[in-house]
Amino acid sequence: MSTADRTHEPDHDHHDEGSYLTPKYGAMGTVWDWMTTVDHKKIGVMYLFAVLFMFFLGGVAALAVRLELLEPVRVAADGAITGQLFAPAGAESINTGNQIYNRLFTLHGAIMVFMFIVPSVPASLGNFFLPLMLGAKDVAFPRLNLFSWYIYVSGSIFGILSIVLGGVDTGWTFYTPYSTTTDADHWRVLLMVLAAFVLGFSSILTGLNFIVTTHKLRAPGMGWFDMPLFIWAIYATSIIQVLATPVIGITLLLLIFERLFKVGIFDPGLGGDPVLYQHFFWFYSHPVVYVMILPGMGIISELLSVHSRKQIFGYRAIAFSSLGIAAVSFIVWGHHMFTAMGELASAIFSALTFLVAIPTAIKVFNWITTLYKGSIAINTPMLYALSFLFLFSIGGLTGLPLGALATDLHLHDSYFVVAHFHYVMMGGTVIAFIGGIHHWWPKMFGRMYNEKAGMLGCVLVFIGFNLTFMTQFFLGTQGMPRRYASYVDEFQFLHTLSTYGSWLILAGFLVHLFNFIHSLVAGPKAPPNPWGGLTLEWETESPPIEHNFHHEVLVQHGPYDFDTVVPPHCDERDFPLPPQDQPPASH
Amino acid sequence: MATIDANKPDLPAAGAKSHPLYWKNRGFAHHFRNADEQFDACKLGMWLFLTTEVLLFAGIFCAYAIFRMLYPDAWAAGSHHLDWRFGGLNTIVLLFSSWTVASGVRAAQMGNNAALIRNLVITLICAGLFVFIKLYFEYIPKLSAGKAPGTFFSYPYAHDPHEPLWWSVYYIGTGIHALHVLIGAGLLSWVLVRAIRYEAYGPTEYTMVETSALYWHLVDLVWIFLFPLLYLIH
Amino acid sequence: MTMPPAAPTSTVPEAVAAFPADAVAPVRTLPFDGEGLQGLFFRTNGTTDAAVWTDGLFMLTFWFSMFFFVLLMGLMVYWCIIYRRRPGVPAPVSPAHNSKLEIFWTVVPSSSMLVFFFLGFWGYMDKVVPAGGALELSITGQTWDWTVEYPDGTQSAQMTTLGGRDNVKIHALPENTDIALRMVSTDVIHSFWIPDYRMKTDVFPNRYTGYGFTTPKLGPEDDHPEGRYRDQWVFCAEYCGDLHSEMAAIIRVVPQADYEIWLENQGSSGDPVIDGQRVFQSRCATCHSVDGSNNIGPSWKDLYGSERSFNKAPPQIADDNYIRESILNPGIKIVQGYQNQMTPFQGVIKDEEISNIIAYMKSISVHVEQPAEGEAGEDAPGETETGAGEEG
Repeated sequence: MSTADRTHEPDHDHHDEGSYLTPKYGAMGTVWDWMTTVDHKKIGVMYLFAVLFMFFLGGVAALAVRLELLEPVRVAADGAITGQLFAPAGAESINTGNQIYNRLFTLHGAIMVFMFIVPSVPASLGNFFLPLMLGAKDVAFPRLNLFSWYIYVSGSIFGILSIVLGGVDTGWTFYTPYSTTTDADHWRVLLMVLAAFVLGFSSILTGLNFIVTTHKLRAPGMGWFDMPLFIWAIYATSIIQVLATPVIGITLLLLIFERLFKVGIFDPGLGGDPVLYQHFFWFYSHPVVYVMILPGMGIISELLSVHSRKQIFGYRAIAFSSLGIAAVSFIVWGHHMFTAMGELASAIFSALTFLVAIPTAIKVFNWITTLYKGSIAINTPMLYALSFLFLFSIGGLTGLPLGALATDLHLHDSYFVVAHFHYVMMGGTVIAFIGGIHHWWPKMFGRMYNEKAGMLGCVLVFIGFNLTFMTQFFLGTQGMPRRYASYVDEFQFLHTLSTYGSWLILAGFLVHLFNFIHSLVAGPKAPPNPWGGLTLEWETESPPIEHNFHHEVLVQHGPYDFDTVVPPHCDERDFPLPPQDQPPASH
Repeated sequence: MATIDANKPDLPAAGAKSHPLYWKNRGFAHHFRNADEQFDACKLGMWLFLTTEVLLFAGIFCAYAIFRMLYPDAWAAGSHHLDWRFGGLNTIVLLFSSWTVASGVRAAQMGNNAALIRNLVITLICAGLFVFIKLYFEYIPKLSAGKAPGTFFSYPYAHDPHEPLWWSVYYIGTGIHALHVLIGAGLLSWVLVRAIRYEAYGPTEYTMVETSALYWHLVDLVWIFLFPLLYLIH
Repeated sequence: MTMPPAAPTSTVPEAVAAFPADAVAPVRTLPFDGEGLQGLFFRTNGTTDAAVWTDGLFMLTFWFSMFFFVLLMGLMVYWCIIYRRRPGVPAPVSPAHNSKLEIFWTVVPSSSMLVFFFLGFWGYMDKVVPAGGALELSITGQTWDWTVEYPDGTQSAQMTTLGGRDNVKIHALPENTDIALRMVSTDVIHSFWIPDYRMKTDVFPNRYTGYGFTTPKLGPEDDHPEGRYRDQWVFCAEYCGDLHSEMAAIIRVVPQADYEIWLENQGSSGDPVIDGQRVFQSRCATCHSVDGSNNIGPSWKDLYGSERSFNKAPPQIADDNYIRESILNPGIKIVQGYQNQMTPFQGVIKDEEISNIIAYMKSISVHVEQPAEGEAGEDAPGETETGAGEEG
C-alpha cells in the first residue's frame, strides 16, 4: 500500500466531486496527473486513444497493401515490369517492391493483432466500464492497472521502433525457420518479437486485474447472474488472457533465444521442429482470437438490449456460451495447421473445431430473438449492432468449410481465410468496438455526437467492408494465395473491387473521426442516461465523477429489466413501461 | 496515489511504530469494503499469476517431452552428463527454504517480527546457495567443457548428434527457473527490508508475506518437476 | 527494370522446347467459365474426382449457411421494421427465454456439424493418400522456386512467363494418371498448392510430406493450335520471403504420347554449355540474371574470371573453385552490395551440374576467350554498383 497521499479521509459520499475529466492542476500538473493516475477511467481513456492510434497506423498499412494489389505485376513482352507501385524508380527487379509489400502486410498484421485488437475492447471500454458496471470504485489493483498501461506503451514503442528501423517481413505469425533467418544482420525482427512478448505481459496483468475485480468488487446485491453480459464476456476474455498468454510468452522467448543464440529448438538443421513452433504459437493465438471477439460479443449484448428496450433473450445461455467458447478455444488450435499435421491429429482437431460453432450459433440466435417485440431505435449503436449480426454471421458460417478437412486443404492460406477472419475480426470486433464507442461516448466524455453523421459513417463502413472482403472469398476459392505481392491477371477484377472497397471504409472512418472531434469540441452536453440503460454506469453522471458514484451502490434490479424498471435519470413518458397484466418474465 | 486511502488511527509512538507502514497503522485501499476483501483479492490475484507461471513452464516441459520422444538417445546421453548429487542438494536447499518461508508467514501471522526476519534471512541464504551451486558446480564447468546449447555446443565426445538440443532445453529450463529464483528472492528481500525497517507485517497485515511466499513455493514446485526430468530419468 | 532481353522461348534450345510444337506453348488454364454458382466460386467446375468432391462439400456448406443466414437476417430486418421505436409506446412484455426453443436451436446445428465433419474427413483421406502405383514426383521447395524431379531423375527445362516472372517452369504430366508427390524443402516452409486439384500440403525442411492426385482426362476443350494440353497453376501458399508471390509453376497435362516425347527432350543434350544453361534456368534464374542486370544475387554476365570484391573477405578472381564454393556454401563470401540470402546447395545439386554451370558461365563471360563467336561484351558488369533490391 502506498505511503503517499494519505490525506484523503475515508468517506462513502462524494457529493461535491467533479467529473473525472475536470483538470485540477495547471497544464503540466494535469499531464502529470494523467500520467500517474490510478483511476481506471483515465487509464481506459488513455488506452482508447492509444489503440485508436494503432488502428490508424495498421489501417494505413492495410490501405497501402490494397493499393499495391490494385494491379497485378506483369512482365510485358519487351521484358518491362508493370503494375508495381512500391518499387522505387530505377529498381531493376521486382524484389524491392515485394520486400516493401511484405513489410507492409507484416506491419498491418502485427499492429492490428498485438497492439490494436487484443487490447482494444478490454483495455479501453473494459477498463472504463467494468468497475462502473459492477458498481465498484476502481479495479482491484489500480496501480497494477497503470503498470500494465506502461507495459503496453513500452511494448508498442518497441514495435514502432522496429518499423522505423526498416520493418519486419516475417508476417505477424513469426513462423520459423523464416523468422529466425530473415534479416539476420538486423535487430528489427528481435524488436518486434520482443514487442509482442512485452505486450503479452500487459494483456496478462489486465486480465488478472479484471478477474479479481469481477470476483471481489461486485456491488452488494449483485450476484453472478445479475452481472451485465458485457462483464461476462470480459470475464471469459480475461480467463483466456491469463491462461493462454504465458504460452506465447515462452514461445517468443524461445524464438528470441533462437535468433540470438541459435539454440536449435525450432531449427530443423539442429534437429529442432518448426511445427512445434506452430503448435506453441497457435496454442496461444487461437484462444486469443476469442480474446478479440468475446468482448465484442459482450458489447453487442448490451447494445441490442438497451436500444431495443428488451430483456436479452436467454441471458444464461449467452453467459454460459461465453465461458463455453473460452473453454473450447483451448483445444482447437490445430485447425490452423491442417496442411502440416498427420491424419489423426487433423481429424481430432477438425471435430473439435466444429464444437466452437455451437456456442457461437446460440449467441446469434439469442441476439436476434431479443429483437422480437422490442422497441427498436435505429441509431448509430443499433446500426452497428445490426451490422455486427450480419457480418459476424458471415464470418462464422464461412468457418464451416475451413473446419471441414477436405475443403480446408484447398482454402487454407488463401484469400478465403483472409476474408473469413476479417469478417470475424473486423466485421465482428471492430464493428462492435466502434458501436460500443458510440454507445458509451456520452458517458465517457459527457457530450453527444451527431447521430446522422454517425449513421452515415456506419453505412459507409458497412458497404465498404462488404465490397472489400466479400470479393476476397471468391478470390480464395478461385486460387489466390494470401500474402502475395502480385498475382496472375485472372484475379485482377476482384482485387480492384476490393481496393475500391477499402477506400469506402476509409471514408466511413473519417466521417466518424470528424464526428468525434466535433462532439468533443462542440457537441451538446449529454444527459446521464441518454439511451435509457439499466446497467449501473448509467446511474452516475456523464462523465462519471472521480469516485464513480455519489453513494455506495446497492443493486436492486437486473441489468435488463426493461419491462419493470424506469431507467435512472429518465422520464417515464420517454421510456414507458408496458402494462403489467402478466407477471414479468425473469431471467 | 490519490485514490488509495487508509484508515489511519492516531498512534503516537516512536520509531517504526509511528510509521504509516507499521502493521497496526495499515488500512486498506478505498475501493475495497474491508481489509479482508483486500487480502482475498490480493491472494486471488497471486494465484492467478502463479497459474500463468505454471503455463510458462508448461511450454518448456512440452518441448522437453516432444524432443525426448523424438531423440531418446540424446536425452539419455545428456542426462548422464548431469550429476544428480548437485541436483539433489539443490532440491534439499529449496525444500528447506520453502519450509522456512512458510514458517515466516506463520511468524507474521503470530506477530513475531523477529522470527519473520530470521526465517526470511534463512530463505534468502538458501536462494543464494541454490544459485551458487547451479552456477559454480554446474553451469561453469559444463560450459567450459563445451556442453553449451545449440550451435555453441563444442563438446568433443558427444554420443548423439542431437545432444546440442538437450543442452538447449537444459539451459533454457534451468535458466528461466534460476531467473524465477532471483525474482522470488527479490520479492522476499523487499518483504525483509520492510519487516526490519517498519515492522510492516503482523496479524492483521501479512498480505505481502503470504503472496511472496506463494511465489516462492511455485519456484520450489517447478524445480520439483525439473529435477527428476533432467537429472534422474535417463 | 530490365529483364533478360531474349524472350524465354529463344533462350531454351530448340531441342528442349519440342513440345508440343517447336516453341513453348502459351499458358492455357481452363477459362473462368464454370457453370452456375459453383463456377463463380471455383472458376471452373471440378474436373477430377477429388475436386468434384471438394466442390460438392463446399456447395453443401454454402447452401446450409445460406439457409440460416437468410432466415436470421430476414427475421432481423423484419423485426427491426415492425418493432421500430414509436415515441411513448412501450415494448410489449415477451418471454425472456424459452427452453424448448433454445434446446432445439442447439441440437439441430450441432448434429449438422457432425455431418460436415465426417464428409470433410472422408474427402480428406481421399486426397492425402496417393493411389497405389502412382507416378512419383520428387519435389523440392527452395526460396523461391520449385524443383520437380521425375522418377528417372529428369527435370524440366521449359519456362514461360506468368505474372511478374518470366522463368516459371512448366512440368508436363500425362493425362488421367495417378500422381504421388514427395516433397521436401531446403530452407524455410513452403506449401505446394494446385488449385485445380483443391489440394495443398506444407513443405518442410528435413521432413518429407506428400499427397496424391489424378490428372484429368483431356477433352476437345483442351485442343489448342499448339496441341492438346491443359495448364494448371501451382502456387506457394506458405509465406516464404521476398519472392513468395513469384514462387509459381505450371503443371501441363498432356496426352501420354506427348508426355513421353517431352520427358525425352528434357534429358542431357551432351553439350555442357547447353546443359549448364538449363541448370541455370531451372535453379538459378530466379535470383541471378545473365544480361548484367541486378537481381537478388549478382548477374552472371562476365562474372567468370572477373575480380570480385566481398563484404568481409579479400578480393578474389572468380575461378572454378570460387564458383563451386559460392554454390555449395554461399554464405562464406558475400559480394559487396548483396545480402546473405542464398540457400546453400550442398547436397542439393550434383557435381555434374556444377561443372555444367561453370561451362555456361565461361560461355557468357568476356574474361574468357570465346571459341568462335563469343557474345559481344557489354560494359562493366553492373552487379556491384548499387545495393538496389536489397533494402526494403
